Amino acid sequence: MGTEVSTSPTSLIDQTVVPGDVVLDLSNMTNQTIKLGSGLFQDNDAISAMRAGKLRYTKPNKYWVESSHKRYIPRPEDAVLGIVVDSKSDNFWVDIKGPQLALLPVLAFEGGTRRNIPKFEVGTLLYVRVVKTNTGMNPELSCTDASGKAAGFGPLKDGFMFETSTGLSRMLLSSPTCPVLEALGKKLSFETAFGLNGRVWVHAAAPRVVIIVANALMNSETLSGTQQRIMVEKLLEKISE
Amino acid sequence: MEIDREDGRTPNQLRPLACSRNILHRPHGSASWSQGDTKVLAAVYGPKAGTKKNENAEKACFEVIWKPKTGQIGKVEKEYEMIMKRTIQSICVLTVNPNTTTSVIIQVVHDDGSLLPCAINAACAALVDAGIPMKHLAVAICCCLADNGYVVLDPNKLEEKKMSAFAYLVFPNTTLSVLPEGSSVADGEPVEHGIITSVTHGVMSVDDYFLCVENGCAAAASLSAFFRKNFQQSQRDSSKAG
Repeated sequence: MGTEVSTSPTSLIDQTVVPGDVVLDLSNMTNQTIKLGSGLFQDNDAISAMRAGKLRYTKPNKYWVESSHKRYIPRPEDAVLGIVVDSKSDNFWVDIKGPQLALLPVLAFEGGTRRNIPKFEVGTLLYVRVVKTNTGMNPELSCTDASGKAAGFGPLKDGFMFETSTGLSRMLLSSPTCPVLEALGKKLSFETAFGLNGRVWVHAAAPRVVIIVANALMNSETLSGTQQRIMVEKLLEKISE
Repeated sequence: MEIDREDGRTPNQLRPLACSRNILHRPHGSASWSQGDTKVLAAVYGPKAGTKKNENAEKACFEVIWKPKTGQIGKVEKEYEMIMKRTIQSICVLTVNPNTTTSVIIQVVHDDGSLLPCAINAACAALVDAGIPMKHLAVAICCCLADNGYVVLDPNKLEEKKMSAFAYLVFPNTTLSVLPEGSSVADGEPVEHGIITSVTHGVMSVDDYFLCVENGCAAAASLSAFFRKNFQQSQRDSSKAG
């Protein structure tokens, strides 16, 4: 009845999966530790996909489902851009586009003591690092890296912030440098900050540079490397008339 | 003996399907699903912090808002909202984001029969677009019973009015699996033969109901294949850069 799959596929790695697809069978792999990333959940001995996307695997033992969405699921050691929504005596409440508001302790800054607590107004844009994410609790953030140094974290002044999908942020942060950023960097000088939660901040001396960079980044989501370079060239030609 | 349908379809044939995702700018997930002339738009916002009153704070909460094409919201719309909420609660993994609310808004664009199944399919596609964790997809189909005992699938509005009884059935989708065949069974039947929701109108005998379920299940397999293909194509279009 129906269309049963006659031979079960041996592996779904690098294939598109939809929720419900069973991607791993643990009964075949005993004595192995497997790390499950986002989009997979365990149902006794079968690992199945919760989200739709591409199944990815890196050695030795990491599996995850890669997909791009407008909301962000917080993970530790991610650098994100947050907006302050409230400040209390111990913590700042920061919105990071996730299911819960995140907490930024007032002392989580380089050289932070009770005497020099920073005063952030509601609406300040911050570049922060996610420290802890436990189910059911609000995620915790920090403005220092793991060793306690500032490393570029903190408030971002001036500039322009816009929101994109998480997939685009990951592409812009990938190494080697994304073609659109290389092509823009050859002709223009600007400063950017990318948050893995889909927020991008751009700052440059002249407003037109900010607008060109922002438009180029927003258009580059579905383009291939060469298409991105062509798009940037066309944009720059139009401007330098 | 075949039944003659007005638009020339066979009793088991579905109307042309069309689905597109990520069509609205502001919602976190959106989809439009059309079966023939019936078209429904679904938008998903969330998950957002906080649950509603009287809801379990250890689970994710869902709320459904149904907007009809014309007219005020009445009992029919409230009933649809309740059915959809229960269906969505059973397909989503509720423990991943406790104490959050996800809103699903359904807007009827055109109603030409088989409205609730179309809405359930659209909501499922929108939830996939938003990245809400789900155990499996829900595939919905309308089966109706003609006077001479034949089961007709996916009726349009005129056919629905003529039928003596009809049932909206929601099944889980057919899944790919790396498990050897036969291991994902529950009580001796594969998971795909289960049923998530069933809403019936009119009078039908028990045997006729089971006949509807059988035919609906077969059609659900082709709907899942359509959904999977549609998703794969949009992945391919958007990841040419990768």
